[in-house]
Amino acid sequence: MNKKMVSALLCGAMVLSMAAPAAYAEEDGVKIALVAKLAGDAFFEVAAESFVEAAEAEGASVEVVYPEEATADAQIKVLDNLISQDFDVICISANDENALQAKLEEAMDEGIQVVSFDSAVNADSREVFVNQAGTTQVAQALMDAVYDICDGEGQWAILSATSQATNQNAWIAAMQEIMESDEKYADLELVEIAYGDDEAQKSTDQTEALITNYPDLKCICAPTTVGIAAAAKYLQDNECSCKLTGLGLPSEMLEYTGDGDEYSCPYFYLWDMEGLGALSAYTCIAIADGTITGAEGETFTAGDLGEFEIVAASDGGTEIILGDPMEFNPENVAEWAEIF
Amino acid sequence: MAGKSGRSINNVPENPVKKALLSWEGILIVLFAAVNIFCIWFSEYYNISSVLRQMPVYLAEVFLMLAMAFILVLGEIDISVGSIVCLSATLTCMMSNTGAPFVIVVLTALVVGTICGMVNGLILTQFPELPPMIVTLATQIIFRGIAEIVLGSGGSISVKNTAGFKAIAGKIGTDIKVPYILFLVLILGVIFAVILGKSTFGRKVYAIGTNRVTAHYSGIHVQKIRFIIYTVMGTMSGLCALFMISSSYGANTTTGENFEMDAIAMAVFGGISSMGGKGNLAGGLISAFIITCLRIGLGQKNVYAQVILLIIGVLLICAVALPNIVQQIQKALSVKKKA
Amino acid sequence: MGKKSAIKKITGSREALLALILIVMIVLVGIINPAFLTPKQFSNMLKNNAVCLVMSLGMLCVMLVGGIDISIMSTLAFSGMAIGVLIKGGYISNTLLIFLIAMLIGLGCGLLVGFVISRADVPPIIATMGFQYIFRALGYLISDGGDWVSAAELGNFKNFGTSRFLGLNCVIWIIIFCYIVFFIFMKWFPLGRKIYAVGSNPEAAEVSGINVKNIKLMVYTIMGVLAGLGGAINVAVYASAMPNMQKGGEMDVIAACVIGGVSMSGGRGSVVGALLGALILALIAKALPLIPFFDQLWLNTIKGIIILVVVVLNVILQRMADRNALKGREM
Repeated sequence: MNKKMVSALLCGAMVLSMAAPAAYAEEDGVKIALVAKLAGDAFFEVAAESFVEAAEAEGASVEVVYPEEATADAQIKVLDNLISQDFDVICISANDENALQAKLEEAMDEGIQVVSFDSAVNADSREVFVNQAGTTQVAQALMDAVYDICDGEGQWAILSATSQATNQNAWIAAMQEIMESDEKYADLELVEIAYGDDEAQKSTDQTEALITNYPDLKCICAPTTVGIAAAAKYLQDNECSCKLTGLGLPSEMLEYTGDGDEYSCPYFYLWDMEGLGALSAYTCIAIADGTITGAEGETFTAGDLGEFEIVAASDGGTEIILGDPMEFNPENVAEWAEIF
Repeated sequence: MAGKSGRSINNVPENPVKKALLSWEGILIVLFAAVNIFCIWFSEYYNISSVLRQMPVYLAEVFLMLAMAFILVLGEIDISVGSIVCLSATLTCMMSNTGAPFVIVVLTALVVGTICGMVNGLILTQFPELPPMIVTLATQIIFRGIAEIVLGSGGSISVKNTAGFKAIAGKIGTDIKVPYILFLVLILGVIFAVILGKSTFGRKVYAIGTNRVTAHYSGIHVQKIRFIIYTVMGTMSGLCALFMISSSYGANTTTGENFEMDAIAMAVFGGISSMGGKGNLAGGLISAFIITCLRIGLGQKNVYAQVILLIIGVLLICAVALPNIVQQIQKALSVKKKA
Repeated sequence: MGKKSAIKKITGSREALLALILIVMIVLVGIINPAFLTPKQFSNMLKNNAVCLVMSLGMLCVMLVGGIDISIMSTLAFSGMAIGVLIKGGYISNTLLIFLIAMLIGLGCGLLVGFVISRADVPPIIATMGFQYIFRALGYLISDGGDWVSAAELGNFKNFGTSRFLGLNCVIWIIIFCYIVFFIFMKWFPLGRKIYAVGSNPEAAEVSGINVKNIKLMVYTIMGVLAGLGGAINVAVYASAMPNMQKGGEMDVIAACVIGGVSMSGGRGSVVGALLGALILALIAKALPLIPFFDQLWLNTIKGIIILVVVVLNVILQRMADRNALKGREM
């Protein structure tokens, strides 16, 4: 019995020693919680860093919080924790558009403002969405890249993340719309939308299947970072004639980007992740001090990024659009790879 | 695994099992107090109302633990429950979106869960040679697979009419709001604990868990009892699914992922052996609240999620390993004393 | 009489049956999509499933002693992430050294798991469930909150995944090497036979002088080393290291062994069976996107059904075999 007590005390002691309280400073400024989709997303880290920098320069304090898994359930637990604390603003990149509604509404009832960025939550559960690049702009850029790589005609395919990925689905839908609405793309044939689930192994399998099923495939468009890297590696290693474009991280894609036939990706897109982080920070602060309320037509100044206007989003809510997607080509990819 | 205990040569007869169990629950209660004191010290936001407000998401998993305890006492395991939650939640959302009355929606959740549990039970009782881990591994993949097919591309569904779900997520009280789910967990917890601990059915479950062959020859309908337990496991998964929807107003392909592990962890931490025949639900319930409080307390200070999981992993291993080690040392000491 | 021996032959050699299933599947996929039947497709399939193929060997050993290990993919992520971070920091660049370090980390993890299971008598499923959380968390922590290591940062190491030796990809050579070593080890080495002995009857093994605890410790250590190796392979093949890599993959490895006829209660199973099981799973994942009339969403359901059918079939065949054996005795 005594020994058991000792063992219990040991358990308790371990908990105590392992979870030493994080340094906590009382601050007067706006308190912002930045919620990630998951831990270990290189993509998010860049934005988070500039978010924190911009917010702290304005006197706000930021807590970056990661859910344990990339699921809506895990984010609900995180939101529960945040509501208990005295945050002014929650800025979230959502794993599921609708699943967080109940919790975010609860947060708003408690007087916490909700901004979403990178991946939107639905219109009812946010004040405003900071969009990295308008959905149509991204789709248009990708469509033009596909058109260019295919020389205007031929088969192409999409390699997406999971089938429920909010962003990817929006871009794909917009691309399909553009393709149908413009005669210019009439000779392009979208043969398949494959899902690699953002896993390297499955993305590789799917890429290989695309190449095998459609020997004449000219271009694969992968609007997801894990997918594009896996596909780029496969195409490059196997010296396929099929080329690749999409949305990727410069540091991941550095090896595969080039003009020659030995490279699998002539150019790809992404947006200014640093700018997105900073703009989100300014938005959160503006919404906290009442400069904006998230209604359509309002304008505010976002530090050195300039003036931004809140516009209506296609889902019925409002959004702030950062700008056009950035192109990464053999000339600038090495330079950007240093940053993200 | 369970069948083997019968062959053991150095089979130690259950000497102080009851005593050991009592003391383990004693430790758990002390630990529960310790965790709460720690959390209050650790997080300035940790108080009764914030804990009660955050509790429902974790409590939904306690439903799973209640039935899982029976399966563990049998000396078996069910790793398909997370997928049952997913499938049941998906179909329930669909039923809700057809505009059916809320009673039907609730029934859908329970019935889908029950049917999934029956499938597990049917396979396992028709082919008792099969290890439950493998069968439920296969059904884990299948149930979630069906949900993926039903959800199609898009992968998630949300309910249009949230009134009913808002009602079950409701709270009682003015100052300190106690969620309904807490009462439900406690009521079901007591019922399950009494069935396991006091009824003939419960004693039979222990008998099967201790030695399935002996249980069979002493006239216990082993397969019938297994079938009932796996079916109830399914029903509880449906109940869990219902409360999952009430917190997210929808379902997607990742709903309920890893719930089986959480449920098993709660039960095992509460002293229910995964080898069968040992443990009771009082321990399981206390440990469920310990884990919940710990996660809430650490979470409120935004401790890195992976660190929280690490702590739970260490606690889990320690909870099982330390008593064994202590026992071994005691045995070694007593041998020395005799010599 | 003739009929009986035919049944006996099939049930007597599960491997033959599995090989037959595998060949039928390959032929079917080949008929539906002839593009599948090229050497390159096969070598890519092996390369893309190298992790599962190699690790099912370790799982075979673990399951032979009646255990299970669900922490392996966390070990893989931890060791893979560790070498990724080391390469990124410029501490190591030699390919052989990288593999050794990854395997050493795996060895450490495996030893720890083995100790907890064999010495503290923690049930394998519980112990490895705990370590699953612990090692994965360590993977996140050493990578500074989950920073990826990208292709460019991996230097020369990423070339390993594409380099060839005697016309075959190096990763495939690793797989072949592992299988040959294990085949010999499990069949002819006393230590390998002891694993079987412990699995089929621990008490008898104990009485006959085998140190059961040490054998248990050994199998989890072997599993750990292979998981470490898997980490290095994973980083090499996909030219990137992320802390959440191969999450949930342990179930595939277990499924591969089960399909290959490895018994969960211990003592039954073979290296060839594990190989065939892993190949069948690899083939399903590879072939399904190639078959036009299957929606990809069906992949998981089909995988689950195949596992279920294989294990149920196994029981039915076993029952038939037992009944036949009894019949023989009666006569």
